[in-house]
Amino acid sequence: MILTRGIVARIGLLLLAGVILQTGFFSAISLFGGTPNFLPVLVVCLGLLGGAVLGAVCGFSAGLLLDSALLQTLGVSSLVLLAVGYLAGRYREAFEVSSPLVPPALAAGLTLFGSSVYASIQLMLGVDAPISLLVIREILFQTVISFVLAIPTYPAVRWILRPALVEGTPRRGTGARSPITAA
Amino acid sequence: MYRKQVRRRRAVLVLLVVISLILLSAHFSERSSGPLHGLQRGVATVLGPFEEGADRALKPARDMIGWFGDTFEARGENEDLRAEIEDLRRRVAKAESAVGENKELRALVKLGPSGGIEGRRPVTSRIIGRSPTVWYSTVTIDRGSSSGIDDDDPVITGGGLVGRVTETTAGTSRVTLITDHRSAVSAKVLPEGPSGVIKPEVGDPGELLLDFIEEDTQIEEGQMVVTAGWRSGRLASLFPYGIEIGKVTEATLDEQQTYQRVHVRPFVDIREMELVQVLTQGGAASGERQATAGGSG
Repeated sequence: MILTRGIVARIGLLLLAGVILQTGFFSAISLFGGTPNFLPVLVVCLGLLGGAVLGAVCGFSAGLLLDSALLQTLGVSSLVLLAVGYLAGRYREAFEVSSPLVPPALAAGLTLFGSSVYASIQLMLGVDAPISLLVIREILFQTVISFVLAIPTYPAVRWILRPALVEGTPRRGTGARSPITAA
Repeated sequence: MYRKQVRRRRAVLVLLVVISLILLSAHFSERSSGPLHGLQRGVATVLGPFEEGADRALKPARDMIGWFGDTFEARGENEDLRAEIEDLRRRVAKAESAVGENKELRALVKLGPSGGIEGRRPVTSRIIGRSPTVWYSTVTIDRGSSSGIDDDDPVITGGGLVGRVTETTAGTSRVTLITDHRSAVSAKVLPEGPSGVIKPEVGDPGELLLDFIEEDTQIEEGQMVVTAGWRSGRLASLFPYGIEIGKVTEATLDEQQTYQRVHVRPFVDIREMELVQVLTQGGAASGERQATAGGSG
């Protein structure tokens, strides 16, 4: 991905819109007893398009914005989402996104990972109340819904960032693409 | 070249992890008036209007999704009627939204200044943001310190107790709900029943636990639980007496068999509410605002 000021601004706006959508829309939806978590999906998409460093930075920023918007403990969401973004980017650098099912599957897998890490951090920080087994249902629900959400989100993010994608710009010569710059 | 990229990638990762950990520990150890909290309040203040706008703009879509869920089984209509149904769905979603809001506002009006909560000035607010995880059961409302809202003010709906204010900016406030693991409310079983502490069960917003009830105390299913509203000298509960919390569904003995664990179903559906009322101090003496240990009340 070629990062210009315009692309950085687009990514910033995407993250801001993602956080506002999450707090004002997705968090208010209750389906089958669970709440969709859109931010891991968005961060996975950005990681898949921009690589590990961009994924980690976007995850960190999204987490920081979310914790600030909700006046929550700073750092927890950042830690989880930066790991999600980094792993998505590492996947892109190591493998080819060969099937349209890869982004949804990765979003689901990394949401499961992120939710589990989040739960572990909360348990380590201390929970002053009994924990219901319904927490597991919530995590599994978020995993499934992330798969569904990633189906339209990945092409949408790709479309928004298309001027920055190496595939979308005319290339000179026949040199091999770096796994980091190729998207 | 590739090695340099790998080193840079690792350095960025380590740096971000370290910053996150520093933020986490600094935020925990810092007072609420500290710079990090101040910065966070600044960001929340800036984001508040956007959240409010998004909440209002996307409400029909939310209602539509809810409506789709409720009418999932009614999708076997014939082809000729489908176009008409699509149109009606949009209209019904809007109408249901208006009816629900109206019902909620009517219930809130009953709990106004004449509702028996003396010395409190109710401020009606709209929920504009919610936490996406079950680990933080908090919501953001569209009124803040400029509307007279202060930390620890109780928050209710027409159904009963919702939580308390734990952070304020000029235009928004964070409400920690009674289903948050950090919440603890002193409560009383009616009529003439014992008092205990209401705590949530993390992950299940439809269940609260009333602890520290002696094993020989008779508790029956269906008894109402309200805030205890205790007072001891200058110390007083954050919640006034008599705010409805929920209804007893079951009473069991705990592991040590010394206390009963009373299961309570809250009257308020935390996930469905959209409007709340903050009971601000109004004319009450500030000296009576004494927080109890652990932020419970």
